[in-house]
Amino acid sequence: MTGQLSEPVTGFAEAHDDLRAVARRVLGASAPGEPQDWTPIAASGWPGLEVAAEFDGAGATFAEVAVVLREMGRALTHSPYASVTALTLPALAAVTPNAARDRLLRTTGAGAAVPIVVAGGDAKPPWGGSGGFVPFRIERRDDTVHLYGTTEFAADVTAATTLLIPAREPDGSAVLVAVSPGSPGLAVTEQPILDATRTVGAVHAEDARVDAESVWHWTGPGPLRALFERAALATAIDSVGLAEAALEATVTHVRTREQFGRPIGSFQAVKHACADMLVALRIANRLVDAAVAAHVHGAADAWIAVARAKSHACAVAVDIAGKAMQLHGGMGYTWESGIHRYLERATFNRALFGSPAEHRAHLARRYREPDFTP
Amino acid sequence: MDALAEFREQVRQWCAANIPPEWRARQTGATDAEFVEFQQEWFQRLRAGGFAVPHWPREWGGGMPVAQQAVLYSELAAHDAPRLVLAFVSIHHAASTLLAAGTAAQRERHLPAILDGEIWCQGFSEPDTGSDMAALRTSARRHGDTYVVNGRKLWASGAAFADWCLLLARTDPKAPQRQGISYFLLDMRSPGVEVRPIRQATGEWHFCEIFLDDVEIPAANLIGPEHQGWQVAQRTLGAERGLTMLELAERLAHGGFRRLVSLCARPRPGGGCALDDAPVADRLAQLETELAGLRGLCADLVAAERPGPAEASIVKLYYSELLQRMTDFGTEVAGVSAHAVLRKPRSSGWESGAWMLDFLGSWEWTIPGGTSEIQRTIIGERGLGLPREPVVPR
Repeated sequence: MTGQLSEPVTGFAEAHDDLRAVARRVLGASAPGEPQDWTPIAASGWPGLEVAAEFDGAGATFAEVAVVLREMGRALTHSPYASVTALTLPALAAVTPNAARDRLLRTTGAGAAVPIVVAGGDAKPPWGGSGGFVPFRIERRDDTVHLYGTTEFAADVTAATTLLIPAREPDGSAVLVAVSPGSPGLAVTEQPILDATRTVGAVHAEDARVDAESVWHWTGPGPLRALFERAALATAIDSVGLAEAALEATVTHVRTREQFGRPIGSFQAVKHACADMLVALRIANRLVDAAVAAHVHGAADAWIAVARAKSHACAVAVDIAGKAMQLHGGMGYTWESGIHRYLERATFNRALFGSPAEHRAHLARRYREPDFTP
Repeated sequence: MDALAEFREQVRQWCAANIPPEWRARQTGATDAEFVEFQQEWFQRLRAGGFAVPHWPREWGGGMPVAQQAVLYSELAAHDAPRLVLAFVSIHHAASTLLAAGTAAQRERHLPAILDGEIWCQGFSEPDTGSDMAALRTSARRHGDTYVVNGRKLWASGAAFADWCLLLARTDPKAPQRQGISYFLLDMRSPGVEVRPIRQATGEWHFCEIFLDDVEIPAANLIGPEHQGWQVAQRTLGAERGLTMLELAERLAHGGFRRLVSLCARPRPGGGCALDDAPVADRLAQLETELAGLRGLCADLVAAERPGPAEASIVKLYYSELLQRMTDFGTEVAGVSAHAVLRKPRSSGWESGAWMLDFLGSWEWTIPGGTSEIQRTIIGERGLGLPREPVVPR
């Protein structure tokens, strides 16, 4: 029923259908919450989807990555894949080419390495001049480079083979620092959270000495802003995926569960609640598709579509997951049913990378512009 | 510039040259005669531009590609054009019924006449059959070459101005409900037809009651097979839902939202504006977001070759309730002064900026054409495959 809600933005409808079907099969093999084995992900070529052909990637777009991300939301997949594709690969693609960077890009695309960008999940939307991922601080003493800073609720940092830390030089210029997680002066600590399908952690650098060769300059302006946009968008995609799965589970339940001698889904109160879930999901899906399209096309105002998608889809997913728990009745409130995982992941998504209200505050700033047009 | 962008530019120029300036002011407080005259004038102007019936087949004067139609409606909305209120049933429901089920003679008789301004209304609902329309009781008994019709129809929008009526009446009272209804083209000038406008909650008189007292309809004006009227109506009712909803969504997102933003940005007596209140700004951004989603859904519905079984209901439900939320919010922000706006421009939509009247008018969307409750049932059953309610025997 709701399986084919996403309209591909690149016109490769059939390719998307195939990708979706494969992803559903591969990801369905793991129980929700159980860490997803990385091997089938690497074997499927998903890490390299968006990597350029010159680095042995598939040369596809984020629209194809989005298909996989949505399926991971559906399956409540526990994996660093989203961090790798939403943040690592675009970060690596946006720094000045050098041998080490090229090697990392190649191995990451091949699924042989899992470098992770240290990006705080509590970052605020950056579009007003403030907010965004907070860079670490670099101190240069003689010929040595030292790193200082703390980031919390950064996804998948404990799984990282390399940490990519956004930082600022003493002269203020923005850089990306590649360090080994075990480097002296660097502490990576898991932060336990209620959403058991995610792993987040704190990264603390106190006089962590880094190799000068591993300090990479960005090639374009506003790199962290672009990364934030990707992170927010990936989160919204995850939310529509999990909301879709929560609705499907609910529909399956209310069609078969009988009370008062008939399926509870035949009662209007239940049926109408399910209809509202579907309508809300359709709107959320549409906003997410529009944001993916704007991002893929590199639209200057893509942030508007992303702010709409992030604020709406992540809020709607919480409503849908909450209603899913309600309509599953007492069974839905049990730990064993697993319905709570949808609600935990949905609420965590809503909190990540700016609340709905924070995103909407940015949209609303435009209303004061004299030439504002809807 | 690609072809579609070129077309958009062409429509923009047409709008600038053809939308009567000050039409909103002139239509505020207009009499019925002024309203009808303006509607007919606007329709002919659109016709001259090739924009009156773009959705019709080419041989009847349409044939515009769907993507261009979407651009056309978007631009008309962006330019705050008048709405085709009077011709709505004629160019959509009447035309799609004639095209889908009419005879060659029926099409030849009516389609060109519609282009010349023939006005149609719909005689479906009855006083005792609102949502349960298949239970309709108006009877049509055949006597030789004519049917004799008796009954009452309700909520016939614009019937006071109509030349013709799409009429559903029961021709076989013994058959199961949906197997005994026939579909007729009724000349509103026939003896025995009486129209009484009903005053709506907004104070306007657009909906009508139609009394049918031994009205004779020639058998040649039966459309589709006898007793199969319900099936014909089901097939043709939603025919243009996509494009008509796209037009309305575009109007809401353009003129409607623009008026709402300027209302919120209007200086307040004590200084500042409503936008300074964070909850106001937040709700505006929420509405903007929902509008973007709605426009997207409408565009998908228009582009879909075979829309899903619940798509039209999803769009209708969401539009109706978003319209209601938005006009409610406009009324709230406008405050007491919203209640001193006693009239809204005729020929406008439900986003005229007369917030309280627009808000009242929004129930014209959540009730007719299948109430929001009926839509939710359709979405649950057809969209999600949920079981139907047990049938109560009758």
